[in-house]
Amino acid sequence: MAFTKAAVEELSALHGEPAWLRARRLDAFGVFEGMSLPDTRRNEDWKQVDLKTLNLEAYAPFQQPNGVAPAGALENVGATLYQRGTTPAVASVAPDLTQRGVILMPLAAAASAHPELVQRYLFSAVKPERDKFAALHAALFSGGTFLYVPEGVTVEQPLVSQFWSAGSGAAVLPHSLVIAGRGSRFQYVDEFLSSSRDETSLASGSSEIFLEEGANVGYVALQQWGIQTWQFANQRFHLGRDSHLQMVDVALGARMARLRVEAMLEGPGSSADLKGLFFGTGDQAFDFRTLQDHIGPHTTSDLLFKGALRDRAKSVYVGVVRVEAAARGSSSNQANRNLLLSEKARATSEPILEILNNDILRCSHGATVGPVDPEHLFYLESRGIPRPIAERMLVQGFLGEVLDRLPVARVRDAVDQELSARID
Amino acid sequence: MALNSAAVGKLTEVMADFEIKDLRVSVEGREILKGVSLAVNKGEVHAVMGPNGSGKSTLSHTLMGHPNYKVLGGQVLFKGKDILTLPTEQRAKLGMFLALQYPVVVPGITMSNFLRTAINAKRGFDGKDKSKSINVKEFRALLKNEMSVLRMDDSFLSRYVNEGFSGGEKKRAEILQMAVLKPEIAILDETDSGLDIDSIKFVSDAVNKMRGPELGVLIITHYTRVLKFIKPDYVHVLVNGEFVRSGGPELADWLEAKGYSEWVKEPDKAPAALEAR
Repeated sequence: MAFTKAAVEELSALHGEPAWLRARRLDAFGVFEGMSLPDTRRNEDWKQVDLKTLNLEAYAPFQQPNGVAPAGALENVGATLYQRGTTPAVASVAPDLTQRGVILMPLAAAASAHPELVQRYLFSAVKPERDKFAALHAALFSGGTFLYVPEGVTVEQPLVSQFWSAGSGAAVLPHSLVIAGRGSRFQYVDEFLSSSRDETSLASGSSEIFLEEGANVGYVALQQWGIQTWQFANQRFHLGRDSHLQMVDVALGARMARLRVEAMLEGPGSSADLKGLFFGTGDQAFDFRTLQDHIGPHTTSDLLFKGALRDRAKSVYVGVVRVEAAARGSSSNQANRNLLLSEKARATSEPILEILNNDILRCSHGATVGPVDPEHLFYLESRGIPRPIAERMLVQGFLGEVLDRLPVARVRDAVDQELSARID
Repeated sequence: MALNSAAVGKLTEVMADFEIKDLRVSVEGREILKGVSLAVNKGEVHAVMGPNGSGKSTLSHTLMGHPNYKVLGGQVLFKGKDILTLPTEQRAKLGMFLALQYPVVVPGITMSNFLRTAINAKRGFDGKDKSKSINVKEFRALLKNEMSVLRMDDSFLSRYVNEGFSGGEKKRAEILQMAVLKPEIAILDETDSGLDIDSIKFVSDAVNKMRGPELGVLIITHYTRVLKFIKPDYVHVLVNGEFVRSGGPELADWLEAKGYSEWVKEPDKAPAALEAR
């Protein structure tokens, strides 16, 4: 089955969605049909992205049945949601969280149960008109998570969604919609997983996250799709007054993983700590586009994207820092560091500054691309550490600067495990 | 005082434990060491002194195999091998150690991980045979004593290697590595430079504690100050890539008074001048 209007209707019916959501999907499908794939030569936003071998026709919007997610019960988490492909998601929430008004449920179910919230926020941040992939996502998103944490509620243990791909040839388009009420405090994790490393799929996990006044949110996305997967993902954060976001994106999988991260610092005094960690081998390609948009006054953002590339792996980083006219007294930092572990690995890094208000505290940026520092190698070897172990330690150390600061232990362990297995 | 071991070697043809023979080295195409010979036996402390640019750091880095230094000729014999043919890690495994003048900051690797991996490498642990790796208890015990001599607290272990360390802390961390790796030939490259007097004392105490029949030390220094704390058995003066004089500890006193003016056109008064302050 191709990406058709009939597929949109079937998927909407499968999830039992209300009419307003079906209508939205159909509108988005119209946008999708009206757009061509991005022009990677002329469209600045898509330059350096290699889409030559992408054939959208090769992917089915969903397969039925996909089966249930291979979910082992997670430990030390407050709530979980599992979804495999387009099979309706299953959520479980600790009773005390439900009592305190925390909602974590399949997005489709929330569309009926909490239409006032979902209708208002869904696709208000990542709009279908943005590009053909965003339109496809809005038309055929395979479900996902709705999370609402009410005003003043603190959740100690992380809230986790696991999205599993549904086998070769299937599109997997999970969506996370997160609303952090005033002064709420919690950590939310999106995990994107493939049960087989070599399956070919088209995946796009997109997240829209809203922080109301004074909310303090940790957001972690762990991307471990199979290495033949195409990913086109968007994450957009809207930050209210004095809210704080601590975000970590980990990219380990996919053949081409494009991720757009946008932090909209709207409320005065809001702040965002944005970190990225990636490791590529073989022919993997990463494409990161970040935006630190200082809209309100006295806003702060600090971004660090770090990655190591081996074999013929590539990465493109384009990061925009925008200081809008009203954003006086803002402070921003942006750094992208790339470690090249073989001669054919490539990384490019492009910072873009758009400063519309000169009354700023700080606006700094830096980028590095290069091999392991020979002085570091010499130092470790002079202590008797053999070169392969020394190199491994240096790569782990390089990535460790982000990994060690990952706020969710279960993700930190999972990443550490995969890196240990792949760095050699 | 004892005869210079190099002289003994010549008379009797008995090999010293560590022997540098006619070493010539270039850096970026320029010859820096122009035929340097030196014999160090275990149990001895040798000081190599010289003005800036004399080739002191070239000597220390070449001995440890730094890739920027090109050996043009000569040999360095240790345990029956010409170590110049060995990669750096094998020189270390054979029992050589270099305390760097400028210890490198390595973000992301904790001191504890660094020390443990180095100890395990020395023990021949390849990641498989766990019986060869040092266990937590043993590791703690090994470090505890040495760290107290160097006045280092436990927080050093969880910090990244040399990151945010003061000059004195870096040098103390170097000596801590030496203490746990227990080399047979240790080269201390300007370990005293940039140190406050307390740090010099802690570092010297630690080195003096390690002195003994199983350790030969090569102290490379511009200034005589550190030699008041770590008394050398022999002193050698390196000028313009060659040894111009060797003698006993009294040579250091003589240098303190006269500086390197005898050999260097621009009088290098730094040693005496600094000591006076």
